[in-house]
Amino acid sequence: MERVDMAMNTLLILLQDFGLAAVPAVGFAMIFNVPRPALKYCAVAGAIGHALRFSLYKIGPLPIEWATLIAACVVSMIGIHWAQKWRAHPKVFTVAAMIPMIPGVYAFTALLALVEIERTGFTPELLKTATDNGLKAMFIVAALAVGLALPGLLFYRRRPVV
Amino acid sequence: MNTDHGHRREEDQGAITRLCAQTGVMLLQHGAESALVESVARRLGLALGMDSVEVALMANGITVTTLYGGRDCTTVRRNVDRGINMHVVTEVQRTMLLAEEKKLDLAGVARCLDEISPLRYPRWLVSVMVGLSCAAFARLGLLARGGEADLGTFALTFVASGVAMQVRQWLAHLHFNPLVNFAAAAFVATSIAAQGVIHHWVDSPKIAMSACVLLFVPGFPLINTVSDMVKGYINMGISRGVMAVLLLLACCGGIVLAMTAWNAWTWL
Repeated sequence: MERVDMAMNTLLILLQDFGLAAVPAVGFAMIFNVPRPALKYCAVAGAIGHALRFSLYKIGPLPIEWATLIAACVVSMIGIHWAQKWRAHPKVFTVAAMIPMIPGVYAFTALLALVEIERTGFTPELLKTATDNGLKAMFIVAALAVGLALPGLLFYRRRPVV
Repeated sequence: MNTDHGHRREEDQGAITRLCAQTGVMLLQHGAESALVESVARRLGLALGMDSVEVALMANGITVTTLYGGRDCTTVRRNVDRGINMHVVTEVQRTMLLAEEKKLDLAGVARCLDEISPLRYPRWLVSVMVGLSCAAFARLGLLARGGEADLGTFALTFVASGVAMQVRQWLAHLHFNPLVNFAAAAFVATSIAAQGVIHHWVDSPKIAMSACVLLFVPGFPLINTVSDMVKGYINMGISRGVMAVLLLLACCGGIVLAMTAWNAWTWL
């Protein structure tokens, strides 16, 4: 009974994650001026990507970088499928869908820690915060971009996607 | 043998070269990755009958050379950043696809490109959606930590980032340098969020402070940086990456200024 409860709880969190991730995907798609008919694709792709990453690294055993890479790769494949139907470059949908996974807090924390070192003087803790968060941000961004490029690099080597 | 050679006049080659440069610049200005810029410009030239099209990209310019019947034609265009606009990228690419399918000729392509007017969503709508996005980020941040939902935090994040987005769009409309723009708007966002911290309106001030500036993370340039470098456009990748980091630093400046002004150092 307890296990059923826990599974239900996890599923509920996953559903919340799915729904919440769609909002920033659409919001940022509007900053990028994605055409209106494509907004729904951004929402679905953003939700799938973030929920997949959440289940891989929070529920599953993977570290966040690998989970990000797999999620980005899956979103990219879905994006290529839509792009061919819709006659547009897949990045039109997929970059907005990556936005919920962008490590913004890590990046800002790293930079603020550097500013803090300058302001209050060096401490090993601050340097640790800066390096930990900065490296995390760099690796996650690299995983996002490489994951997006992977289907193209593996399956569309000498020919254009659209 | 291409029998077209006889018909194509020298002016045509010039016009086609200029069209290729125009498509390239339009894509570059509106945030397309380098591989796409190069392939669309090349495919358009080939579709309009050139023997070969070579494209060289620089951070603030584009060079296009077409070769036709042993004759070269080269042109350079300056690139001024116009902000990311996927609508323009889509329309330019569709024009190129129509030319490839022989549904558009030289004059048709020129007309189609001139008719593209960049789509802009209403500013208030973008601000509301971005406010909601940052509130969703706040909830996602709490969710990942296993925290409880907290309506005050979301409301504060929504207001702070919505107002900041409005400021950002207003400053962009006045043609301020993006670095100045981001620093000023980040100052506004953090100042509003800091009020909640000072007056103890919210339970998780740290989340509100960090989520309300997430609208300034240059996600598109960051992803383009890596994909450019992976696909061999190292110098384009580096220049995009430097710009993205500068934008982050500008925001950081705005955040630090606001935290100093309100003496609210909850972030670290």
